[in-house]
Amino acid sequence: MTQMLTSEIDIRDAFFDEVYNIGEKDKDVVFLTDDMDAFSLRRFRRDFPNQFINIGVAEQNMINVAAGLAACGKRVFTYGIASFVTMRCFEQIKVNLASMNLPVTIIGVGPGFSFEFDGPTHHGTQDVAIMRAIPEITIYNLSDISLAARAAHLAYRSNRPVYVRLDKGKFPILSDENESFSDGFRVLKPLEEVNIVSTGFMTPQALMVAAELEKRSAQVGVVDLYRLKPIDEAFFHKVLEPSAEIVTLEESSFAGGMGSIICEILADKGSDVRVRRFAIQDRQFISYGSRGWFHAQNGLDVDSIVDALTRRS
Amino acid sequence: MGIKELEGKALWVRQMVLEATAASRRGHLGGTFSCTDLLVAMYYGSGMKFDPANPRWPDRDRLLVGKGHACLALYAIFLDLDMISRERYDEYGKDGGSLGAQLDVSIPGVEYNTGSLGHVLGVAAGMALAAKLDSRSFRAYALLGDAELYEGSIWEAIIFAGEHGLDKLVGIIDRNRLSVTDVLDDEGLFKNLGAKVRAFDWDYYEIDGHSFPEILGVFKEVRNARKPVMITANTVKGKGISFMEHGIKWHHEVPNESELELARKELGILGQ
Repeated sequence: MTQMLTSEIDIRDAFFDEVYNIGEKDKDVVFLTDDMDAFSLRRFRRDFPNQFINIGVAEQNMINVAAGLAACGKRVFTYGIASFVTMRCFEQIKVNLASMNLPVTIIGVGPGFSFEFDGPTHHGTQDVAIMRAIPEITIYNLSDISLAARAAHLAYRSNRPVYVRLDKGKFPILSDENESFSDGFRVLKPLEEVNIVSTGFMTPQALMVAAELEKRSAQVGVVDLYRLKPIDEAFFHKVLEPSAEIVTLEESSFAGGMGSIICEILADKGSDVRVRRFAIQDRQFISYGSRGWFHAQNGLDVDSIVDALTRRS
Repeated sequence: MGIKELEGKALWVRQMVLEATAASRRGHLGGTFSCTDLLVAMYYGSGMKFDPANPRWPDRDRLLVGKGHACLALYAIFLDLDMISRERYDEYGKDGGSLGAQLDVSIPGVEYNTGSLGHVLGVAAGMALAAKLDSRSFRAYALLGDAELYEGSIWEAIIFAGEHGLDKLVGIIDRNRLSVTDVLDDEGLFKNLGAKVRAFDWDYYEIDGHSFPEILGVFKEVRNARKPVMITANTVKGKGISFMEHGIKWHHEVPNESELELARKELGILGQ
């Protein structure tokens, strides 16, 4: 397996640089934030002041205003911390965006434990579970800069509301420019009997798990499920159905995250593919530590996953 | 349309609302009657820039109804203006029917899916902002219940609109002084409401919500607005039927046989 190349670019920059390009070309693009900053956004704010509004710490109003703008033809992006921009204004998203099919993009930064020392209020652990309960939403979980750059355009062109989970930092690059990003998933390591389906931050982790297992002569495939909703039939037929076992890796709660989605698909298909889920325990962590420390607490670090998988087989 | 004709139209709307409520055994009579005159003024008295033949005209004024449970008045008006068919109108209250107890955007002229209070002022603010960004001439009106002002998101919108000088935004409060379970006097939230709203850099007016000269007068004033405008329309819940007026139970109570007969008499509907 080829060595992963770590990006020189922060994943936020990869995303926001494309938003800049989009906003430069389309004067109907409006960017709203709930007073959340990002280095690469400052350029947008500076160069397109009429297209950038700090709504202030008022997420409900941010979505309401976004809805009004979108209803009048504006292409709106909203941005803030993942836990706040989904939960604080959940009803607004459900009714004012989704039920009226207004194509606003909600960008939530800080999935999982990426806000390490800020406590459960900042942990993006339940956002997947609640957002996927909205029928009309599309959800992208950004795992590398190639996807991030493309996701900006996919969101911009969407005719339904989109939720983008945006991480912080520099991550391995997982695809080249030939990837179309139209399927909602990408096979990063060829499929075997046992396949890991991972998402977001856990995808590079999954590749490390696979590499470690390979050293122990156990082959596993790795699939990055980057579009958590909607999921095409093709995902079941190409990835799940041919597998004997699926291992899910996510930095979201056991309660309702990506692993739950996989279980639901398999149950509905009457499939007997086995599922092994790795996720965040169903509790709020009033603890403080680095992301790696949190992962160790949850058995989500590479060594723990490898141990768990080897013990089983 | 002159004052007499507007009053006649409002009476007709109340008749339609009463009959639709009685026929389907569902409706929110009290809160619908309190804002009937306001709605008639908007649609028939040039309160809004609106073309019934062209409900999606891009430069139309937009009316967002926060208190969507007053929908029966809107349905009657939309029927009268040929925006919906009689067939559709008659679907109200029926299984699988396309007209429900709340408004939705599938209905021509409806800008917002109602049912959850407190959102419309912010959404209307977004529309007023779009107008300002593009120097367009349309206004966004939000019809609010007075109980609806308890929602924090209303105040987020008030703050935002004031800070951004959204002079194309108009909030209209149907101040009928009753919520579902309580009387809403001029205490607490409503104490010095005008001063509170003005402090957020809005213009504020107070009118008799059942006087067409006053309603039309303020709508004309609004056209010169340099700030967002909040209008408190003092109204009576259940206005138009004496035994319903000020009655808390008439939020969603349906009249029985004898009450219906009395109500019809008062509204001048000839005996069934």
